[in-house]
Amino acid sequence: MTDVTMIVNGQVRGASVPPETTLLQLLRDNFNLTGAKLGCDVGDCGACTVIVDGQAVNSCLMLAGQAEGRQILTIEGLASREWLHPIQTAFENSGALQCGFCGPGVLLSAKALLDENLNPSTQEIRDALSGNLCRCTGYTKMIEAVQDAARLLREESRTQLTHARTEATAP
Amino acid sequence: MKAFGYVSAKDLEHAIALLGEHGARAKILAGGTDLLVELKHAVHNPEVIVDVSRLHELKTIAVADDGLHIGALVTHSDIMNSPVIRDMFPALVAAAHSIGAMQTRNLGTLGGNLVTCVPSMDSGPALIALDASVTVASTEGQRRMPLFELFVGPRKTSLKPGDLLVDIIIPKENLGKPAAFEKFGLRKGQALALVNVGASFWIDREKSVLVAPRIALGAVAPTVMRAPKAEAFLDGCKISAEVMAEAGRIAAMEAKPISDFRASADYRRDLVAVLVKRALANAQARATAKEKELVA
Repeated sequence: MTDVTMIVNGQVRGASVPPETTLLQLLRDNFNLTGAKLGCDVGDCGACTVIVDGQAVNSCLMLAGQAEGRQILTIEGLASREWLHPIQTAFENSGALQCGFCGPGVLLSAKALLDENLNPSTQEIRDALSGNLCRCTGYTKMIEAVQDAARLLREESRTQLTHARTEATAP
Repeated sequence: MKAFGYVSAKDLEHAIALLGEHGARAKILAGGTDLLVELKHAVHNPEVIVDVSRLHELKTIAVADDGLHIGALVTHSDIMNSPVIRDMFPALVAAAHSIGAMQTRNLGTLGGNLVTCVPSMDSGPALIALDASVTVASTEGQRRMPLFELFVGPRKTSLKPGDLLVDIIIPKENLGKPAAFEKFGLRKGQALALVNVGASFWIDREKSVLVAPRIALGAVAPTVMRAPKAEAFLDGCKISAEVMAEAGRIAAMEAKPISDFRASADYRRDLVAVLVKRALANAQARATAKEKELVA
C-alpha cells in the first residue's frame, strides 16, 4: 500500500491505497469527490481533468502516489452552495452545457487558462479546451461562456484593484 | 491495472540506484501519459514502478558551455513557456505545442516523448534537425550519445535496463540556427502526425547560399529519419523557393512510409514533399526575422 497525503480543495486529505490506484480513483473512491469523471481512462477525453499545483492534468494518467504533497483542485472546490465561480455563472448564463458529463473537466480547463490569461483569444480558448471532448454542445457556447467568464473576472479584478487603491489612500 | 510495487526516487542518485537494483523488472514513471495507458492495457507487467517525476535536477533548461541542456523531465508546457527556447528554438516550441492537449502537455515530458520512441513522435524531428545529443546515466556512470542513436525501431530504444535519460543537449554551434517544425495530423488537437518534419540550415549571406542543411522526417519510417539526399542537394544551393520544393520532392523519395488506417503510403509521401518545402521556407522566414531584430 502507498500512503498519500495531499491538499484537496483546501483541506488536508490522506489515504492508504494500492500503488496502482490513479489519482482519479483516489478522488472518487476514497475521497468521495465524484465530480471528476471516468471517461476514456487513457487521457483523451478530459472528463477527469483536475488542477494539480495550478496546472490542468488528466487525473486518470497520474498515480495517487504522484499527488503526494500536492495541491489539488476539483470541481467541488470551485463553488460553494451559496456562491458560484464566475466561470460557472458564465456557463449557466450561456447554456454552455447540455448533459454535463464533460462539464467539470471543461470548467477546470477553462479555469487553468483564465488563471494565466484573463484576455484569451478564441484560438487560445479552443487550444485550452482541445483536451476536453463534448458530444452535446459543439463547443460554440462553451467558447462564448469562457469569453464571458474572462470579462466577469477582469471586472472583478478591476473592482478589487479599485478597492485596494481606495483603502490605500484612505486616511 | 495489475498490481505493482511503487517507489518514488528522491534524487538522481537514488533513481539510478533503484534502477540498478531492479533492472528489467522496473519501469520508469516520468509524465505517465504513455506509461499509464500501457499499464492499463497490460502491455507491460513490471514488478516495480520507479517514479522519477520528483527529480528537480532533471527539470532545468539552461545554456552551458557545450550548448543548451534540456532536462529529460521538462514538460511540453515547460518548453512552450521557456523564454530561452522560445527565443532560440521556436521549432521546438511548435513541436511541443502540437503534442496532445493542454492536460497531457502539462504531464508529458520531453524525455518521455523520446524514449517512448513511437515513429510519429513530434519532438524527434525538431531535435534531430538540430543535431541534438542525449546524456544517459546508470550505475556505471554517465554517457553522451547522438539522439539519433537512441532510436532503434518502433517503441524500441538503445537504452538498457537500469539506464535513465538525463538530458537533451542542442550543441553550442547550433544555438540560434534557423529551424522549423511542420506537422500534418487529421485534426488540430490531440492528433498524431501523419507526417512531421524538422528542418534547419545556416545562411551564408555573402553568397546567399544554404549551409549545413538538415531535414528530419517523422512517421514515415520505423524511427525518425534524416533525408541525406535532400540535404546534399540543398548544401551550397542558392536560396530559392524552387530549390526548397525540389528538396521536398527528393525527401519524399527517400521516405519509407507505410499505409495504415490513418493514411496511405502515397499520401504520406506527398505530405513529405509539401511539409519539407514549408519547413524550409519557415526556417528562412525566421532567419530573416532574426536578422531584422539584430539590425533594429
